[in-house]
Amino acid sequence: MPQNISLDKLKIGDIAKINAIQSIEIPAKFYELGFYPGSIIEVKHKAPLNGPICVNVVENNALIAIRKSEAKFITAVII
Amino acid sequence: MENPNIVLLGNPNVGKTSLFNRLTKLNQKVGNYPGITVEKREGSLKANNKTYHIVDLPGTYTLFPNSLDEEIVFKILSQKENKLSPNLTIVVAEPSTIKRGIILYQQARELGLPAIFVLNMIDEVESKGIHLDFPKLEAYLKTKVFQTNARTGKGLEKLISSFDERPSLYTSNFEIPEKYKEALEEAKKLFPLATEYLTWQYLAQENVSYLAPEKQVALAAIRSKYQLDPHEMQKTESLLRHDRISMDLENILNKSENKTLDTTSKIDRILLHPILGYIIFFGLLFLIFQAIFSWSGPLMDWIDGSFGELTGYLSTVLPEGPLSSLFIEGIIAGIGGIVIFIPQIVILFLFLSLMEESGYMSRVVFLMDRWLRPFGLNGKSVIPLMSGAACAIPAVMSARNIENPKERLLTMLVTPFMTCSARLPIYIVIIGLIIPEDKFLGFNLQGITLFMMYILGIVGALGSAWILNRVIKSIRSSYLIFELPTYKMPDWKNVMTNVWDKASGFLWEAGKIILMISIVLWVFGNFGPNRKFYDAEEIVQQANPNLSAEELEKEVGSYRLEHSFLGYIGMGLEPIVRPLGYDWKMGIGLISSFAAREVFVGTMAVVYSMGPDVDIEDEGQKSSLLTRMKSEINANTGKPAYNFASGISLLLFYAFAMQCMATIGVVRKETGSWKWTLIQTVFMTGLAYVAALIAYQILK
Repeated sequence: MPQNISLDKLKIGDIAKINAIQSIEIPAKFYELGFYPGSIIEVKHKAPLNGPICVNVVENNALIAIRKSEAKFITAVII
Repeated sequence: MENPNIVLLGNPNVGKTSLFNRLTKLNQKVGNYPGITVEKREGSLKANNKTYHIVDLPGTYTLFPNSLDEEIVFKILSQKENKLSPNLTIVVAEPSTIKRGIILYQQARELGLPAIFVLNMIDEVESKGIHLDFPKLEAYLKTKVFQTNARTGKGLEKLISSFDERPSLYTSNFEIPEKYKEALEEAKKLFPLATEYLTWQYLAQENVSYLAPEKQVALAAIRSKYQLDPHEMQKTESLLRHDRISMDLENILNKSENKTLDTTSKIDRILLHPILGYIIFFGLLFLIFQAIFSWSGPLMDWIDGSFGELTGYLSTVLPEGPLSSLFIEGIIAGIGGIVIFIPQIVILFLFLSLMEESGYMSRVVFLMDRWLRPFGLNGKSVIPLMSGAACAIPAVMSARNIENPKERLLTMLVTPFMTCSARLPIYIVIIGLIIPEDKFLGFNLQGITLFMMYILGIVGALGSAWILNRVIKSIRSSYLIFELPTYKMPDWKNVMTNVWDKASGFLWEAGKIILMISIVLWVFGNFGPNRKFYDAEEIVQQANPNLSAEELEKEVGSYRLEHSFLGYIGMGLEPIVRPLGYDWKMGIGLISSFAAREVFVGTMAVVYSMGPDVDIEDEGQKSSLLTRMKSEINANTGKPAYNFASGISLLLFYAFAMQCMATIGVVRKETGSWKWTLIQTVFMTGLAYVAALIAYQILK
């Protein structure tokens, strides 16, 4: 049974499929840029000391950066 | 239709601005201080026996506005009576993110706008491993699809020749979910003329500011009656569209293994490295400031020399008299005082624009967000703060793409603390007066002091943000999401247009104010309220009968100044500036600087009867103004006017005080509030006064 993990806990190089967004606080813009259930992402970079993380949204082949504070509400399964 | 309106709509980084520049060539007009985030860039194109009016809208991912920029987009597209309301919308997309482009296209069509679809950066289709069936795509979108490469101009002719064709009828691709239907039906009654989708947009936004107040109230009532959550509605739409498009594109779009991120990934491994990334960023900052100071020197000297020659020439040809002296010493010298800043501004914006165009700026946002967050700012605040080192006016405007209202407000409030190029001449003069030309640990002491002033600006900005962050309440929670575009060679056309816009904008807007102040100063200094001013020569001669002609002239000059309007104003202000260690003459310099800091040096030159055109880059004149200022005695204390204590006090005052009418004006416009503008002005100036007061009282 694959484990749910929030995006802020993923390591660089991890590829994961988003399965849920846990907070209603997350704005619609996140959905529009590719953070929606079913979307596949790959963690590419992390800024030091709990800075933002940068992921590749595979669908659009686009690099999107978000803060850890929002990333922790987005859960995914590593594939 | 005589002049059809065309708007360019698209995601950021799809080459929309390049396309706009190609279409309009140089026939474009921009707002006063445009940036990458302009309010509107408009231009015209003559073709097909018509003149098309073209507007480049700010980049957006969706029609639901998250920031001020995006609000403008929605307004222009949806407000029928808007004078920019388009006759044709060109939706620009690029191959990798074509799905996002299609969403935007569908939204535009469902608002009832005729739209065509442009797939730009068509040269990247192959290398990105994308296969598109264009006839099927056209059938699906029910419009023509144009393939362009805005950098080379490929495909543009075909696009332009089709400007008068209108796409075929459109049926909505977005099925509004059952649970919202009842609410929507009720909302539709409020807007009998709007399309169903526009009504849905109205309902799914928290507040549509351009609607009549009673409509806003009615919409809010419907939202609360049906317990609608606008965010939920927007997300629902986004998900439904995504799923639908993915399904629909299955036999239109084919992606094979993708390699294009490789180069970007490799570069990012260095530029976004947790340690190396910061070293490179600060190295680049250092390089930019080095460039601003060393590269601009010869140009500034040349400009100054030319203006010197011009005024010299004019004074020999024009008849002597008050009017020609207003023209030469007031207006021409005033313009010279503006033009001299152009090289520095050009160099700074050249770098900023290169960083933006190449895709590096987003990396800076990524690197800096964590360090700015504790101060209530946002990674995106880096751009306004950095631009603030040239001029606060475009910098304040570039805060527009910060989504969170509080972070945007904070950024605008603290940006004017950054050491702008107008503070530079003042710093140079005062540092030259009070800091010896010694070396400290091998570094030039004056240089270190100047560097400290820049640091002080940053500390002022961040410190105030830290304080204000505690005072201002946030309406929305803070978040950050942005795209890091692939690295690209900068499009030189865009860079040049951008730099030109910035430089000419500065020249005209700041220029008007400096010019006005020069004239006012000249008038106030050249007229007086009573006969003491007009009979100065007689009075001085009677008091000192033994003066040589030269000394007499000097004495008469300063006596006259004391009894001019300017003199009386200065004397009136003296009680306020005395505790800071200044005399009335410095007070005048201070007061005139409230219009714009850059008038200080010119004012001091007028006040010390040297003629207003003082060249601080020119060694000869610099030493003579410096000598004059050095020997100036403060009438209150009997000590040199520019001693260490009063000099430090002046430096602190100029570092913190809000002394720029144009910035005040732009903050008022951008915040839409006199309250915040006043708070900012009072806060900055109060801080300046207190800091200068404490410094002087301790050091004197």
